Amino acid sequence: MSTAVAEAVREGRLPGRVWLYANYHCNLVCTYCLTDSSPKSPRRDLAADRMVDLAVQARELGFTDLGVTGGEPFLRPDMVEVLLAMAEQLPTVVLSNATLFHGDRLTRVEALAGQPVVIQVSLDYADAEDNDAQRGDDNHATVVAAISRLVERGIRVRVGTTLDPDAEVSDDEHARLCALHRSLGVADEDHVVRPIVRRGRADVADVGVRATAADLPPELTVTADGAWWSPFGPTIRDGVPETDLLITRTTDPLVTPATALLRLIDGRPPGDDAHLGIR
Amino acid sequence: MVDWMSGISVGDRPVTLLTADEAPLLARPYFAGGDPGPIIAALAQVPEMLEVAAPFLGVVLGPSALDVRIKEVVILRTSARASCRYCVEAHTVVALDSGLSDTEVRSLRGELGVEDAFPAEEDRAVIAWCDALVGTGSVDAACRDRLRQGRPDHVVVELTLLATTTLLLNRFCTALELPTAPEVLARLATAGMTS
Repeated sequence: MSTAVAEAVREGRLPGRVWLYANYHCNLVCTYCLTDSSPKSPRRDLAADRMVDLAVQARELGFTDLGVTGGEPFLRPDMVEVLLAMAEQLPTVVLSNATLFHGDRLTRVEALAGQPVVIQVSLDYADAEDNDAQRGDDNHATVVAAISRLVERGIRVRVGTTLDPDAEVSDDEHARLCALHRSLGVADEDHVVRPIVRRGRADVADVGVRATAADLPPELTVTADGAWWSPFGPTIRDGVPETDLLITRTTDPLVTPATALLRLIDGRPPGDDAHLGIR
Repeated sequence: MVDWMSGISVGDRPVTLLTADEAPLLARPYFAGGDPGPIIAALAQVPEMLEVAAPFLGVVLGPSALDVRIKEVVILRTSARASCRYCVEAHTVVALDSGLSDTEVRSLRGELGVEDAFPAEEDRAVIAWCDALVGTGSVDAACRDRLRQGRPDHVVVELTLLATTTLLLNRFCTALELPTAPEVLARLATAGMTS
């Protein structure tokens, strides 16, 4: 079915991926977390059937990829089943801190092997001390071990590195991080490096780059609270989702926020492309 | 304060009135000229509704085929009968600026009798129409005939749409406890018409 969305995606005016926030709670409390996630955060879950239905609608509208983020999505016991159902519609990437992949959860996640599902794991530095200062004690060791386990089981893994733009990361440090992910079986094309965005807890902590709609690719993002311009939009400040990058509260049918997003894109000045490389 | 389970703010006010910095993308044009007022700031929480509601409200309440004086009679009377503090305060000032006298305004607010302030039957018929609409919503034949006397259908329709749209706003503003602007409160104090 050809739609205005499909046409915009084909023409490159609209990114092809739709992001879904599975939840907002997390077992970690990272210093720069956009969503101010923690074990005590309100969950703000998207129901499993809702996520799958959104995946169906995204495919029908002409989007080409799906993304799932949180919070930590794998805190949800239904996440593997949801991802498998979503991946029947479109290739799916899921962002994870990878600290839960052991025991029963590791057994369950094995079902993703060979499926069009990529787990993007957060790992910020080659050195455990630097990494753990941002992401919590023992995070580096836990994540390195988890990446190995996932790769061994045939699950495609990407590594997502989030850096303080004011911190000086030497070429040597960066090279060591790349050597590390290669040694774990993660190829260079599956390593994503991006700056901390100054929203949510990062803003409170006074770190990261400021980003407006003009700086962020317009990737339609759905949460339990509405639809946003970007996955960097539905951030949490003082316990409330920030609204400056909100598109619509209506998320079903998905065509409502998708059409509104297209209108906003068409209202942007020509050549006003995202320039911070925040993806 | 935030409800732990829902994450919903449960502060002193029923809803947060968004500022220009917080305005969602579709709502930003409404903030471009400065503070758009609490109705828009509240509607901005649901930008796709704001996009439709704001133009609608602008057309119904703004300049139209009806004389501005009679429009303010309808808005202020309906608001007073519906006990909407915000709308009564805001439109007391607008009514005075639209040429209604102090006595007429006080009468519409329910502080003086209608008979004394509005000698013309055509005004009284409109006020009676508003009173009926705010009441049970049903209008008896005599009230309807008074309104229709000498008025074409399009005027009857617009007066009715104006009154019922005002009533919608009355319920909205009262439920959300929208705050009156300080400059409006100052004008009311000067006029001796504080609530």
